[in-house]
Formats: sequence, C-alpha cells, structure tokens
Amino acid sequence: MMRTATATYWLTKRALREALRQPEVELPQILIPLFFLATIIGAANQIAPQAFGVSNYTGFQVPVAMVQAVAGVASVSGIVMVTDIERGYFDKLLLTPTPRIALVLSRLVADAVRATVVSTVILVVGLAIGSPLEAGVGGAVILVLLMGAFGAAYSGIGLAISLRTGNPQAAQLGILIFFPLLFLSTAFAPKEVFEPWLETVAEFNPVTYLLAGMRSLVLEGWDGADLGYAFAAVGGIGGFSLGLTMLALRLRAR
Amino acid sequence: MGAMPAIEAVALVKEYERGVRALDGVSLSVEAGEIFGFLGQNGSGKSTTIRILTTLLAPTAGSGRIGGLDIRREAGAVREKIGVALQEAGLDDLQTGRELLVLQGHLYGMSGGAVERWVVELLQIVDLEDAAERPIRTYSGGMKRRLDLASALVHAPEIVFLDEPTTGLDPIAREGIWRYIERLNREDGVTFFLTTQYLEEADRLAQRIMILEAGRIVAEGSPEALKAAIATDVVTVQVGEASAVGRAADVAQGLAGVEDVRRTDTAVAIYLPEGSAAVARIVRLLDEAQVPVASITLARPTLDDVFLRATGHHLAVDEGLDGATA
Repeated sequence: MMRTATATYWLTKRALREALRQPEVELPQILIPLFFLATIIGAANQIAPQAFGVSNYTGFQVPVAMVQAVAGVASVSGIVMVTDIERGYFDKLLLTPTPRIALVLSRLVADAVRATVVSTVILVVGLAIGSPLEAGVGGAVILVLLMGAFGAAYSGIGLAISLRTGNPQAAQLGILIFFPLLFLSTAFAPKEVFEPWLETVAEFNPVTYLLAGMRSLVLEGWDGADLGYAFAAVGGIGGFSLGLTMLALRLRAR
Repeated sequence: MGAMPAIEAVALVKEYERGVRALDGVSLSVEAGEIFGFLGQNGSGKSTTIRILTTLLAPTAGSGRIGGLDIRREAGAVREKIGVALQEAGLDDLQTGRELLVLQGHLYGMSGGAVERWVVELLQIVDLEDAAERPIRTYSGGMKRRLDLASALVHAPEIVFLDEPTTGLDPIAREGIWRYIERLNREDGVTFFLTTQYLEEADRLAQRIMILEAGRIVAEGSPEALKAAIATDVVTVQVGEASAVGRAADVAQGLAGVEDVRRTDTAVAIYLPEGSAAVARIVRLLDEAQVPVASITLARPTLDDVFLRATGHHLAVDEGLDGATA
C-alpha cells in the first residue's frame, strides 16, 4: 500500500512535469472550449430566453466549456501513455517493482490536477464575460472538484484504449467518443425543448446529469439532489472507465 | 550441493500468435558473478529470452528462476533483484537525464538524499554529467544508450540483463561501456546476462557464451573452449567470382584431412589441421579448377568460425541505431 502511494506520487510528479513542459499540448484544451463558448453564446444568446427558457445563456454554457476542456485534458493522457509504450519507457517502468496500479493511478491523479487547473481558468473567464455563480465561492470550489473527479474518471477511457491497442490513432478515440456524449446531452438546450427521441437518449446520458449539477451551482444555488446526481454520474463514468483500464493493464502487463 | 545459479531457465518455449515459435526449449544456467554472452542473429530469440527472464513476457511453457525466485510466481521480487537495459533504449524524452535516473531510483524505493547522490556519481561513470540537466530528446543515440545503461544500474542490482548494450555505438563509447561492465563484475560481483551481435564483444566480455539459432541453443561453452573444440586451422578463400564459390567448395571437400567446409556468397572456409602445410596445395588445386582467388588467409578459429560452424552462416550485424554517436 505504502509502495503504491510512493510510486503514484513520483509518477504523478513526472506526469505533471511533462504537462508543464508541453504548453502547446495543454493550451488548446483551454482555448478551443473558450472558442466554442464564445461562438455558441454569440449565436444563441439572444434567442435563448424565448427559445429555451434560459435567462442567462452564458451561465448555461460555462459548465459545457468546463466539461469539454476537462475531457480534452483527460484524453491527452491516453496519447501520452501510447507514446510511453511506443518508445519503450512503459516497459522500463514495468521492469521496476512499481505496483502496476500505480502506473494508472498516477495518470488519474495528474489528470485530476490538470482538470482542476483548466476548469478554474474556464470558470474565471466565464465569470468575466457575465456568467453568474449563484452558489458563491463554495460553489466554485465544488465545481472545480467535480471537474477534477470527472478528469480522473474520463481519462480512464483513453488509458484503456491506449493500454489495449498501443496505437496512437486509436488513443485519440478518447476525445472523439466524448463528442457524441456531449451532443446527446443537454449541452446546448434544456431537454424540455428536445424531440422525444433525443430527450430519451439525454436522460440516459451521464453528461446530462453532470451538466445539471454544475448548472445548479452556476444558475440556481445549492441543490443537493442535482449535485448528488452529478457526482453519481462521475462515479459511474469512473467506475466504468477504471474497470476497463484495469482490464487493459492486466492484459498488457504481467 | 552447488551454489544456486543466478539465472536459470528450463525448457523455455514461446509461441506467438499464428504459431510462430520464437523459443523452442531453451535451457540455461548462469552462475553468480559470471558474464554470460547470448549470441544470435536478429530474430533468433535472444530478446524474447530476456523479456521472459525479466518478467515482461510469459513463456508458453518452461520455467525460469532469478536468484532462486520463480519468474512467474515471484515476479515482483525478481524485479527487485535485476537491472535491465532492453534493445531499444526506453527513455522519456521530456525528462532530463538526472530526472529520469532519480525517478528510477525512487521507483526502487531509494530515499531522496541517497538517490540524488548516487545519480550524480552514476552520471559521471557513464560520462553524462555535463548533459545531466538537458532534456533527453537532445541526447544522441550513444548518450541515450549510456543513460539507459545507467538506469539499469541505478538500484545497484545483483543481476543485470543487457540486450545488445553497445549496438550502434562508436568504438570509443563501446570500449567505455565494456570497461564499466568489467569493473562492476570484477569489483562488485555483478552477474551479467548479455545479448550481442558483436563477436568481439562476446569474446572480450563473456566468460561463457551460448549461441541461439531459430529459438534453439546450438552451441555453449567458454569462448576459448568453443574455439579449441574446432581443433583445426581455418583457411579462408575469398573467391574472385561469386559463381565460382561452388567449384571452390568442391575442391576443398576433396582435400585430404579436411574436417569441414563452409561457404558463404563470396568465400569458402576450410577447416583442417595443419593449415599452413595445406595452403600451397589448396592454391594449386584451385588454380587447376580455374577458381579465381581474390585472397587466401590462414587463421586460428575465431568466434565467427564457431558461429559459422554452429549455425551454417556468419553473424550478420544490424547496427540498429543508424548514425548514433557517443
């Protein structure tokens, strides 16, 4: 147990150092969601109150940008893992007595940290351009923690694909899978305005519940039920992705 | 009862998908404190053997023990005992050389101060102290190879596996690594399991060698014993025209006292006792058979001859790291 914790600490440090040394990889994870945020608000802000019944569309969209940024950050981990596999560094780590689970845990912890950083930046920009934050500073802390948890949970998808395939092209599926999840959720409008089929799909989509919990903090204040569902959705995604990752790790590493 | 071998493999078999049999019953035993050379061409199964013995790969059949520990059931404890530098230097380009070694030390449970001090010393030993704070991506192939070697030694292992440690290095860098291996073996009693494509390397370092061909062991012994076992001189005839190699081989086969004849694309190696007495006769017979001779040499057997005799061909060297320098 102690050995797992120590190895996770050192490998997390390495992963974060790596992120700091590649700003060209990290910055797009902030800039692209901010670009989408600006264009979506620009396109729909005027019609949102009448069309969707959303009084502050900026506040409605800031959680989407945060989730999008965090999914991007988490997906990079899979690509980094494939790079390690390709250049043989993963084998070098496997040759040490490092507990295998530390190789995955360190990535998840590093992604959680990276997710809190990018989501904080997006939140600050969102507030600067007019988003409310009804739950106050405490709400901001919960938002960022929720994003940290989502970062760790979602990075498991890319890690599982990378460990199983060792293929850089396949590793990019981590972010590609996210877009259908986002578009089939309440990312752009409340589900009340959806066609029935899309409403049904959105109700089964964990991203819908994640966004609902975040929006409750931004637009309404504290809502225990919505927050509970949001954390449960992250837990569900995390359980699924971690299960896949551990299976893939077992198949790759003895 | 004798001392426990440092490395032991019994009837290792490895079959990959589609029935490719990379290892076909490899058994070996390496004593503690020995430098053991594992010779073979690319694809002969050397790297597969190392990957199995170092716990990276599960064998299809057979067993192995490292320092008495079973490679399957006690893989974690095996990893504590061994240091490994694989054929491709597995490094992280974004770290500096020092950071990589320090991380490696921590992963072996070394404490902060001790690992930092030892890494400084280790970087000096592999002549990388000036490049210690540079990102590894800026290193040349030779520097990466030396750093990889240092990373295999960071926790002062008892047993070290080196998979072609000097492939692609220039002669000066190669000599440096040889000296360091010899020193560790002599002063600290470190056991080395070394695969190589370089006969000179095996001859210089290995106290005992094994030749692997298509997943099977075809020769084993000390370099001296293997050479002595040939018990003949080698007369090598370089033939001026490739088309005449067959005629030259026929001539050689007809010589009295000849023990063996091996041919390559351009030459014929004739194994026979008292080679010096036979050279004149060989030249005359080749001339009579109208074989154009480019050169003729007489030598005591080398490891290359041992390899040729064991496998039927010369050891082809793949330099791997093109253009790599120290």
